[in-house]
Amino acid sequence: MTARIPPVSCSPGTSHADDTIPPQLLRAIAPLHGTAMGVAWAVVCGGLLALATLCLLLRGPTPLEFDLLSQFFWGYRVSVGGIFIGLLWGAGVGFVLGYGFVLIRNGAMWIWLTTVRSRTEMEQYSDFLDRL
Amino acid sequence: MESEQQEQIEHAVIVLNEKLLGTVLGILFGSMLFLATNFLILKGGEHVGPHLALLSVFFPGYRVTFIGSLIGFLYMFILGFIIGIVIGAVYNKIVRA
Repeated sequence: MTARIPPVSCSPGTSHADDTIPPQLLRAIAPLHGTAMGVAWAVVCGGLLALATLCLLLRGPTPLEFDLLSQFFWGYRVSVGGIFIGLLWGAGVGFVLGYGFVLIRNGAMWIWLTTVRSRTEMEQYSDFLDRL
Repeated sequence: MESEQQEQIEHAVIVLNEKLLGTVLGILFGSMLFLATNFLILKGGEHVGPHLALLSVFFPGYRVTFIGSLIGFLYMFILGFIIGIVIGAVYNKIVRA
């Protein structure tokens, strides 16, 4: 994974190295893009469910009761129409999964960064009273 | 300086390495089926893994045997690899747009 780093303007008189985060560090802490991940998962999940339905249709009767998915995906059946319904359901569920994953990952990263930052600040000011 | 760094973090977005993601998902998916199959084989019984064996509908040649677990690993590795590549490609395309 690499981070896309935006250009950062530097005020005159300050060195560029001082006010930019090293790319290696930014790569480790940069957030994931929620919508992009949601769409990517939607494509995969929708595509997989549609392909599985098509595969079952082409093979004919099998002992696999894929119709049971209709318990969760309303209107889904192993039929030509079911391919499109499955595609929509898969895409919907996939988007929620992808977006949810990013939300949790970015949230966890934010909590971790805040904790590290708070600890560093506490350490920085631990001798505050000694300096008075 | 601190606010600029804050801004940098907020505006930076991770770009995925498609092949790496594909390989990781491939190994993960493949290992899952390999382990599940061999767990059922070791568990034994009269009918070994009748439900898992239904995967042969999608993966021709797959059976709940040791050889079948290797075949299943291959199938799932390929599936995971393709999923990883697709997720990476779609994600990167949207992020870079």
